Amino acid sequence: MTRPTKLAAAALALLAALCLPLGLDHQGYAIRVATLVFLFGAMAQSWNVVGGLANQMSLGHAAFFGIGAYTSTLLLIHAGLSPWLGMLAGGVLGGLAAALISLPTMRLSGHYFALATLAFGEVMRVVANSWAGLTGGPVGLSVPFAPDSLALFNFKSTVPHYYIALAALCLVTAIFVWIRNSALGYRLRAVRENVDAAEVVGVDTARTKLVAAVISGVLMAMTGTLYAQLNFFFDPDTVFGAAPISIRVALIAIVGGVGTAIGPIVGALVIIPLEEAANLFLSSQVAGLSGFAYGLILIAVILVQPHGLAAIGRRFQRKSKGAS
Amino acid sequence: MADRTIGTGRTTRRVALAGMGGAVAAPALLRSAWAAEAVNVGVAVPLSGANAQFGVNSRNGIELVADQVNAAGGIKALGGAKINLVIADSTSTPTSAANVAQRMITQNRVSAILGAFASSLTIAISEVTERRDVPLLTMSFADQVTGRGFKNVFQVVAKASAIGAAQFDGTLAIAKAAGQTLERVAIMYEDTAYGTAQAVGLRDGAKKAGVQLVMDDAYPLGITDVTPLINKLRASGAQAVFPVSYLSDSLQIIRVMRQQGITIPAIGGAAGYVIPDFEKGLGEFAEGVLSISPANYDLAPELTDAFRKRYGYFMVHEALEHAVCMDVLVQAIEKAGKADPASVRNALAGGRFEGGWTKAMTGGAVQFDAAGLNTLSVPVMVQWRQKELVTVWPDQFAKGKAVWKS
Repeated sequence: MTRPTKLAAAALALLAALCLPLGLDHQGYAIRVATLVFLFGAMAQSWNVVGGLANQMSLGHAAFFGIGAYTSTLLLIHAGLSPWLGMLAGGVLGGLAAALISLPTMRLSGHYFALATLAFGEVMRVVANSWAGLTGGPVGLSVPFAPDSLALFNFKSTVPHYYIALAALCLVTAIFVWIRNSALGYRLRAVRENVDAAEVVGVDTARTKLVAAVISGVLMAMTGTLYAQLNFFFDPDTVFGAAPISIRVALIAIVGGVGTAIGPIVGALVIIPLEEAANLFLSSQVAGLSGFAYGLILIAVILVQPHGLAAIGRRFQRKSKGAS
Repeated sequence: MADRTIGTGRTTRRVALAGMGGAVAAPALLRSAWAAEAVNVGVAVPLSGANAQFGVNSRNGIELVADQVNAAGGIKALGGAKINLVIADSTSTPTSAANVAQRMITQNRVSAILGAFASSLTIAISEVTERRDVPLLTMSFADQVTGRGFKNVFQVVAKASAIGAAQFDGTLAIAKAAGQTLERVAIMYEDTAYGTAQAVGLRDGAKKAGVQLVMDDAYPLGITDVTPLINKLRASGAQAVFPVSYLSDSLQIIRVMRQQGITIPAIGGAAGYVIPDFEKGLGEFAEGVLSISPANYDLAPELTDAFRKRYGYFMVHEALEHAVCMDVLVQAIEKAGKADPASVRNALAGGRFEGGWTKAMTGGAVQFDAAGLNTLSVPVMVQWRQKELVTVWPDQFAKGKAVWKS
């Protein structure tokens, strides 16, 4: 696709997304699923900054996500601070945490990096469970019930959440595209292809990785606040969990197509509805069947499309170009 | 190779599309298949993951009551309307549980939701039901469930803090009746949400009773060798031990303890200690193990025997309490004469429900206070005796005398 057609397609998709709630029950299930698609798309896109551009397979992004959720919610409960400001505070802390974890893990790559980040996420989960004085411990935190208010980011209806999640996805995707096309993006790709070669041509690889990690951490932490305000309740196992967050966002990006801007969006569009459909159709049947079916479908997708679903489009392009 | 891959890729997309088409069409099909007057009741319990067994037990209890009501002519106030259970897997993550609740409310138009066993799931669901004004009946007992001033949540059992306190008080009382004054006890708990929360309650109980904690150890969930823990327990000189764990770890702990000849009383905290698999896994070692329980089937055998007959095992407490939830809901709908969520909620609020399954609760009835908590329910201590759970404390409910070997 050429650049103008790409832009036109994106604009069309955005227009469709903007109009979608008009035809749906405003507090309904469909709109909630759509909201989750955008939210998880934004999360996977944040992950994509390090996971895709620098090929650093982080399995610990729940750490930043949880920091964001806890920071804004604790500030709201104890200081009455609007979650919008709490989201910025959470972003700052998420970025700091990303810098902190980046320093010791920077020299690792491949499985070692994945394992180290996985451990970091788990450490945060254990800390949140144990430090009950701050986090409320294993029983979790509830966002205080308040009347509808934009300033306090509290809505009974799902529609505002839908648009906020959509905006978040667009924003994070724009940042991703901007980074990819900037000098930082080229440095990240140099690091991804060959760290030593990048060093030789004068790329400060340590600094490049650090900057990417911090941006990713900030964005991920901010989505944590969106999640907390949407769901109104979370506990350490949910927001710091490896399976529900860390691995899930990596999976969404991988299934969609790592390192591409469209990948996390496609991944979220496939995985979130797939999970829901599996639960809807199979969960009242044999216990565990829905999870089993979901896993089988994922395995099939990865086997058939190891480069992600976004690669299907590219393959068609190449084919049509070859034919013409 | 490339062609084949693309071909399969197409099929995948087609399957996915078909699946999504189905997802859109299914609710309409489901709705038309049922007579218009059927009352939809949502059942959101964990049917997969670590809590699956408890979720299945809960579902069985609800199904039993729903079938009884339907067989007896349905809901009379609605001209014999049948109950249609909408059962879905809440999984073990709060996000999915909230999604399931949202789906039940909008797609299935449920009158109320029952569930979801684990407190974190119930709290997540209650955030949805509160905003949609749909009543939620539950047997989850974290203090938070009814502690947030919600108007649409109804809890049929006592709160966790009350259950934790009773676990300690009951133990002291049973020891005292056997002529022993407890001075030193041990706590060992799995390092999970459930384990750490229970341990806090036990610690408070010990402090209040002036009992010394000679051992207070966390262990990782799914521990492979409990021998060091048991050695430490032996050396601590504890007179009783409170092991907090779900099923698999509890089996190991009790087995190794008894194999090593440590016969001090063990007092479990419900969950894995009061299900048939506990006895199946331990055999004779299960004999005499105590546990706290929010309710027990031997208090109303005339009701709970139907469960044993249908499912082949005794009516575990989560099944019993969910059965009570279902019965109370039916009574509320009868009272309201309507099945819309708002009318049902108003009939439940502050209401007193008697007869039917409520007789199986310790209070003999269910009385909701302003927060939606059943004020009549008190927890009981149960003891394993010949493959059955016998209620042994408090005295007014006891079906047998506790065996306490010091």
